[in-house]
Amino acid sequence: MKGFPNRFENLPDYILEITREIWEERGLASLHRCYAPDIPLRFPSGLVRGNLKVIDGTLATLAEFPDRQLLGEDVIWSGDDEHGFLSSHRIVSSGTHSGHGGFGAPTGKRFTVRTIADCAAKNGVIDDEWLIRDVGGMARQLGWEPAAYARHQIDSEGGPERCAVPFHSDHDVEGPYRGRGNDDAWGERLATVLTHIMDKDFSIIRGEYDRAVRTEHWGHRGDWSWEFPETDWMRLRSSFPSSRFQVHHRIGRSDPGTPHRAAVRWSLTGKHDGPGFFGAPTGAEVHVMGITHAEWGAWGLRREFTLIDEVAIWKQIHLHTGAIE
Amino acid sequence: MRGFEARWEDVPHFIIGITREIWEERRIGSLRQRYAPGLIVRSPASVIADSPNVIAATLATLAEFPDRELLGEDVIWCEDPDGATATSEAFLSSHRLICTATHARAGVYGAPTGKRVHYRILADCAIRDGAVYDEWLIRDQSAIVEQLGFDVVEWTRDLIRREGGSERCVQPMTPANDLPGAYDRRGNDNDWGWRYAGTLEAIMSADMAVIPQCYDRAVSLHHPRDRDGQGWKDADDFWMSLRAAFPDAAFSIEHVIGSDDPLMPPRAAVRWSLHGTHAGWGRFGAPTQAPVYIMGMSHAEFGPFGGNGAWGEPTIRREYVLIDETAIWKQILLHTGQHG
Repeated sequence: MKGFPNRFENLPDYILEITREIWEERGLASLHRCYAPDIPLRFPSGLVRGNLKVIDGTLATLAEFPDRQLLGEDVIWSGDDEHGFLSSHRIVSSGTHSGHGGFGAPTGKRFTVRTIADCAAKNGVIDDEWLIRDVGGMARQLGWEPAAYARHQIDSEGGPERCAVPFHSDHDVEGPYRGRGNDDAWGERLATVLTHIMDKDFSIIRGEYDRAVRTEHWGHRGDWSWEFPETDWMRLRSSFPSSRFQVHHRIGRSDPGTPHRAAVRWSLTGKHDGPGFFGAPTGAEVHVMGITHAEWGAWGLRREFTLIDEVAIWKQIHLHTGAIE
Repeated sequence: MRGFEARWEDVPHFIIGITREIWEERRIGSLRQRYAPGLIVRSPASVIADSPNVIAATLATLAEFPDRELLGEDVIWCEDPDGATATSEAFLSSHRLICTATHARAGVYGAPTGKRVHYRILADCAIRDGAVYDEWLIRDQSAIVEQLGFDVVEWTRDLIRREGGSERCVQPMTPANDLPGAYDRRGNDNDWGWRYAGTLEAIMSADMAVIPQCYDRAVSLHHPRDRDGQGWKDADDFWMSLRAAFPDAAFSIEHVIGSDDPLMPPRAAVRWSLHGTHAGWGRFGAPTQAPVYIMGMSHAEFGPFGGNGAWGEPTIRREYVLIDETAIWKQILLHTGQHG
């Protein structure tokens, strides 16, 4: 790996290790080195620019959850030295709400959620990123309904005029990473499954998923078999039935010692014009950033992990309706 | 698969297929063919020899939980050349299932609660001639009891009473009442199985430091009572609290399968036992000195991400462990006499 310290054997080793150094061994300052000065970082909650803001955001999160632990479940990656690497890193994050921060005064409550971070890395520097935290799952575990927490965010950030604007593709910026993933058949297969779902062909789930599939979704919710993913995907699509579905990045891999697996980053862009997860339709313009990881077994898709940020969606809806009290 | 109907493509297909036929497609009568004469089914709760009642028991369960679904998560299997007959090849299949059901009718768990339950089952089946001829099975009984709203110890105490008291109740499986079956092999020689068995032996020797060496830092854990965990600390918590309760018990590896199939990560299925006295504080409260036999079964999947050892040294990425806590509590209560 050109430009990366020799101690790293490969991209997963690098990603898992720097995550541990930054968060758990408190090496925040190493972000000066391993994050580019003007990195665009797209959270569903908004676009953040530059490694200094990343350091401050990390510091604020650690002040709120100092014992936060990040367990790297998987790193699904693509790319090379020349074009840059893209790592889709799935993390189980847990901690105790022992400090003041975005979730208000400390409650002493524990949380466990998943996060997926798509990081582009080249010459030993991370220079482009897309990151989805299960903020809805965190909010629920810390005592908030996601809709109410989105209202709290708007209020505590200075009201609808001044609060942080959730990410929308209309105000995206172009970063240095231009890759779209790789051509592996398993990435294509997951992209096809998601496209069928978003084309409202939900029978693809029974066709493609193992009957004993385990699905882990946003809101820190999961279940076995077909009914859960069918219902969840229907409710999501039903919330935004006319919105445009796009696949932005897809990776497939067949590495020794792991099942075939894939990572796809996608989005829905359009109107909140149906019932589902977000109450009665409001007509709000919404951008939903999503990342899905999947593993296959001998009898079909065996594990599915999908994250969206419900709070960022509620925030877009509240800012449209003005119902922020 | 010589000796099995041509429609079965492989061992997992047969195991998942007959499970579905019997339970979900309601061909319960097919058990007359699928269970070979002389079959012994050992579970922590009992040893049942060639039971004519197995169909009755199946009907009773389905009467109480009519929508019961059995989702086959995995089948880890090996060939058993020594078990082959003139007419059939033989195999040992370790089947991991998720069972989901609604407690919709009255039955052994009492009046219907309407509650949904989900729990794991691990079943080791020796198969040949299209039938199961020897079996070991662990159901996550404490998960069922807890999800139906009962306290595990109180429920077990009541079970002894409902079964007629300490003299007449069903005796949990121990080496004293175990019956030798037709399958006496120990699995296969695949490295992945022995790698996992070695990790379990080290843990049971109280060398808990192997956990960060042999488990992925983000390992997904699935423990008895339907408890999920993640990471080294949760692995340490589980094994420590189990070993601490039975500190001088003999740990034995009973059966080991390793497997590295296409489309799947390398994986292992190990059946093990602890046999000794409830002599320590741990998962089962204050020590009672009760003699206890624990049948345990575990599945593990390996991945490439490192533990504290060298990068690239495979580590356990997912682990599924079952014991039947109600069978352990039953042995403890029968010893202490606190079951009246």
